[in-house]
Amino acid sequence: MTSAEVPWRRLSVRTFYLALLRALVAMVPGYLGLVVLNDGSPVWVLVAGSFFGLLGSLGDLVRWQTTRYRVTPDRVEMRTGWLARKHRTVGRDRIRSVDSTARGLSRLLGLRTVHIGSGEAQSSFQLNALDTGHAERLQQELMHGTTRTAGETGTEADSEHAEPETVIARLRRDWIPLNVITVWAPLVVAGPVVGAYWFLRPFGVDLLDYGRGLVDWSPLIVVVAVLVAYPIGIALKAGTFLLEWWNFQLVRVGTPPATALVTRRGLINTQTVSRDDERMRGIAFAEPLWWRWLHLTETKVITTGLGTSGQSPTSTVLPRIRMAEARDLAARILPDGHRPLEAPLRSHPRGALVRRLGWALWWPALLAGALLLFAVSGALPYWAVPLPFALLPLGLPLAVAAYRALGHASTGPYLVVRRGPLTRTTVALQDRAVIGWTFQQSLFQRRGNRIDVGIATAAGERAYHAYDMGVDQALTFALSATPDLAAQFLEPAETR
Amino acid sequence: MDVVELRIRPPRHRVDRRFILWRTVQTLFWGIGVLGVLGAVYGFVEVTRPWLGPVLVVAGVLYAVNLAVMPTWRYLVHRWEATDDAVYSLEGWLTRKWQIVPISRIQSIDTERGLLQQALGLATITVTTASSEGKITIEGLDARVAADTVDRLRQVTAADPGDAT
Repeated sequence: MTSAEVPWRRLSVRTFYLALLRALVAMVPGYLGLVVLNDGSPVWVLVAGSFFGLLGSLGDLVRWQTTRYRVTPDRVEMRTGWLARKHRTVGRDRIRSVDSTARGLSRLLGLRTVHIGSGEAQSSFQLNALDTGHAERLQQELMHGTTRTAGETGTEADSEHAEPETVIARLRRDWIPLNVITVWAPLVVAGPVVGAYWFLRPFGVDLLDYGRGLVDWSPLIVVVAVLVAYPIGIALKAGTFLLEWWNFQLVRVGTPPATALVTRRGLINTQTVSRDDERMRGIAFAEPLWWRWLHLTETKVITTGLGTSGQSPTSTVLPRIRMAEARDLAARILPDGHRPLEAPLRSHPRGALVRRLGWALWWPALLAGALLLFAVSGALPYWAVPLPFALLPLGLPLAVAAYRALGHASTGPYLVVRRGPLTRTTVALQDRAVIGWTFQQSLFQRRGNRIDVGIATAAGERAYHAYDMGVDQALTFALSATPDLAAQFLEPAETR
Repeated sequence: MDVVELRIRPPRHRVDRRFILWRTVQTLFWGIGVLGVLGAVYGFVEVTRPWLGPVLVVAGVLYAVNLAVMPTWRYLVHRWEATDDAVYSLEGWLTRKWQIVPISRIQSIDTERGLLQQALGLATITVTTASSEGKITIEGLDARVAADTVDRLRQVTAADPGDAT
């Protein structure tokens, strides 16, 4: 290793000046509050603002003083921190992106904040701040020779016009009601009204008062209001749905092996998202509780290199449609033609049901116990103590639903896990996408021989969970998905 | 596959003995801080007494049990190992947690030393991957052991080509 000779570098000295400048600026409101406005009016907001501003710039000073970084032929390192010291190392082949930003004052001073990303926030660097010259040098140094960057999805579609396309799905008229009709339709109307109420209140306009003056609020009026709100809400939802999904097309583009899954949709702004089949790691169904009886599901693909959030529009490839239809489409969405989401799932041990019913019982009991303490101390009246038990009729069915949702399977090159009482999600993840395991076991689970399994992956939501598996089930599950890795932490029970 | 009964093997090494002292002092500080603030409010602001009284009692008992039992119990449970193939750890007390990550998936290696850890000559190693679940933290290692481990991990990860995820 010759890396020992590579010198450590510091942040730009202008960061120091910037911090001083910020400290000065931060003192202004406090000064105004304490000296200029010294007439007994409540100034603590201003003073607190100054205090936190000063604290922030002090942090900046310490950061400038203590941060060192260096780039060696095979890794990037950073040391930082004064009282609590931190030393971070990232291999250069793990670096996916280097970008720099400059805002406001820093831009004027010629400073840039450099982010060195390795695909996940927890293992990224932020150098705040370097001067423009150094920032550009670092950027060139690190990205030299790197051909692929994360986030290139979405821009490829233009260059692929000549590629052959296979259409997998188009927007169908009978999908529209499935996505538009909802019990919560009045909320679509109520939301903006409530928002307007809170927005206008500081200006002295009290909509509540105004409404009270307008009509007499008998229960009948409320019922009429809700009845009126339903069609309006549904119409609004239909409008937004069509805006988003008009001309929806799901196609597979390109010739094997360089194929990609592309969605195009939108009435005014056409959103095109292209997902490299190379990066696809699995597929997931999400079935919201209210639609379970109609067998409706949303479909998401699990890919690496997209944002973390499971809700991000890039992972959703189909609107809410019927399960049978979604299954057929899912088989065509997966490039390898497997149907992992239809695999029969093994249910988890009975103890998992007992545990969930236990939660439904114990939580209200615990809450009631807490209320009892407060009642004894005189803070609450005694009649409030049994109130939490009103949650039982809600909790017990949810517990049963949660247990029935649990399931897992290992089928072909996929592992499948299902969970969730409210939105039941079934996730099929390729074995090769597994980059680690987490097993968690509480005292009670240990007695019941059950264990929670966390599957670490770089794709989709970054982690998927299977709760309350039997220990034997869990170990077999891990062994079938990643035999090599499982061999590291499993041993035959006889050698005890 | 089902013929052989399997079980989870514990990782090889224990953490340093000073871990117990470190966690005890840390818990003590937190307890003094939290209970002190609550107690001060209880003492000075009379209106809050019916509310804060029960909270203080429950929190006090929890902290006392925590202080007496948790550090030693954790020391007895916590184990770790870092081989050329994987980093593997076991932690927790009431709830146990095993974590394993293959070397080829490691993205960054951190060492962290807070004030208390510096005074006791301890260090914490954190290994992160591209997954939020694949982050392993090994607390309370002897500073020298930690430095050696991190050095070795750096060399092994640099030698391993990794994959493009």
